[in-house]
Amino acid sequence: MTVRLKGTERDVVTIRWIPKYTVMERVGHWLHTATFVPLAVTGLILYVPPFQSLAQGQAGHFIRLVHRVTAIVFGLLPILYFIIEPRRFVLSIREFIFDKDDIGWVINAFSYYLMGRHTAMPPQGRFNTGEKMNGLIMCVTWVVLGVTGLLMWFGKGAVPVGPLRIGFVMSAGLFQWMVLIHDVAMIAAVAMFLVHLYLAVAHPLMWAGLVSMRFGVTSAAYAAEHHARWYYGPKRARRLYEEAKKKGASETGQ
Amino acid sequence: MAKGMLIDVTKCMGCRGCQVACKEWNDLPAETTACLGCYDNPEDLSPITWNRVEFYEYEQDGQVNWFFRPVRCMHCLDAPCVKVCPTGALYKHEMGFTAYDESLCNGCGYCTQFCPFDIPRLKETTFLGKGKSSKCTFCQDRVPAGQVPACAKTCPPGAIQFGEREELLEKAEARLAHLRNGAPRPFPEAVLYNPSGVGGTAMMYILPENNLGRFNLPEAPSGALANVWQKIVQPLGGVALGATVLGLIAAFFVTRRNIRMEEVE
Repeated sequence: MTVRLKGTERDVVTIRWIPKYTVMERVGHWLHTATFVPLAVTGLILYVPPFQSLAQGQAGHFIRLVHRVTAIVFGLLPILYFIIEPRRFVLSIREFIFDKDDIGWVINAFSYYLMGRHTAMPPQGRFNTGEKMNGLIMCVTWVVLGVTGLLMWFGKGAVPVGPLRIGFVMSAGLFQWMVLIHDVAMIAAVAMFLVHLYLAVAHPLMWAGLVSMRFGVTSAAYAAEHHARWYYGPKRARRLYEEAKKKGASETGQ
Repeated sequence: MAKGMLIDVTKCMGCRGCQVACKEWNDLPAETTACLGCYDNPEDLSPITWNRVEFYEYEQDGQVNWFFRPVRCMHCLDAPCVKVCPTGALYKHEMGFTAYDESLCNGCGYCTQFCPFDIPRLKETTFLGKGKSSKCTFCQDRVPAGQVPACAKTCPPGAIQFGEREELLEKAEARLAHLRNGAPRPFPEAVLYNPSGVGGTAMMYILPENNLGRFNLPEAPSGALANVWQKIVQPLGGVALGATVLGLIAAFFVTRRNIRMEEVE
């Protein structure tokens, strides 16, 4: 698929689009967003003292209701996605595994994201190190928030679920730890989310991310530059990277 | 100014007058209950039972002991429930007790889990957790009006004394001295229960012996995790999230200066 952007003669750009995300991946991503954001907002209302008036009385009941109903969807999403696209799920999880190129990414991330210097960046797979960290935090906090949340929900004694009564009495000490761990996981997840949001909507080099998440495709030029190992394959990406490094070194006279 | 109650377990005769007076003043209905095989009744504190007399029967040195203790909110001066309450429904009244505004409660139940004495009870447990909390309010609608709490007012043997907390502490010392070598029966091990882990309590007990487990009282109650949560995790979390936002805003402007969009492919 080729799109021609019209402008002055000099600015005509040809973009070749290549597929990146399946429909279900994108639906899953946006449903995750649509549940994560209300969960974070309603949770923060209980957490941040200045929002106290919103947490009080009937408003507080409503906030807690939204938090729990949304939590059910949030918790089920990855499981549903696994059922719908199990092979793709495993494939993506494999892509999230860290390797030694990730160290190079972390070292160069500062100049890469703030200055836009790409040459020293080791070739990245379908997900770069930052996306891997985001994925890791989201996976870990999904488990931690889910487990601690369920224990807080059902650990205060039996709760009626339809005709059944489900729940148990957890020791108060354990409950207190659950609250603490839930909060710490929330802080990690929300901090990661903020960085993710910034890169998606505000960073000039990362413009392709939102396009990919909406239309499922990414620019070939963008993929070659930011996800070389995925675009060229590991061997060619490595060779190109070494060549670029040599060239960069000779240019700066080193 | 800080008020307190001094409950003398060596004086309490287990009449449960306080239990009834509490229900009467606070308009709490009777429980539907059954004989539990002991004198304790009802079985537990509940949203409609804020004060309940516990019976302790045991043998010591060939003598049967039978003591009674009205169990209710301890009104900790440094109350963990107040720290964790996200709504401000639980708050420290200027007169020293832990007051409660039910209209503000959203039923989160943190107070029931962070209370070192296991006192607050949720009104109902629904799937969506809508039950509000409830507990002894130190007769917050009597004390500020200059009246004595209902339990103290009714107590026939004068086991529940109400007054200025400082004065009660002095009275407790005098009473302990009397009990330790007093007649007709000395209590050489008598102690005052006013645990420092929660900053002391407005509800204080004189116990006939220093065996807290016997009287279902925790040895070292504290709001340690409530403090870790509220004083460390919450501010640090706020700083972490605030720093993230500020860092990203700064990064945005630095990036904008360094990267010109015309060069981006």
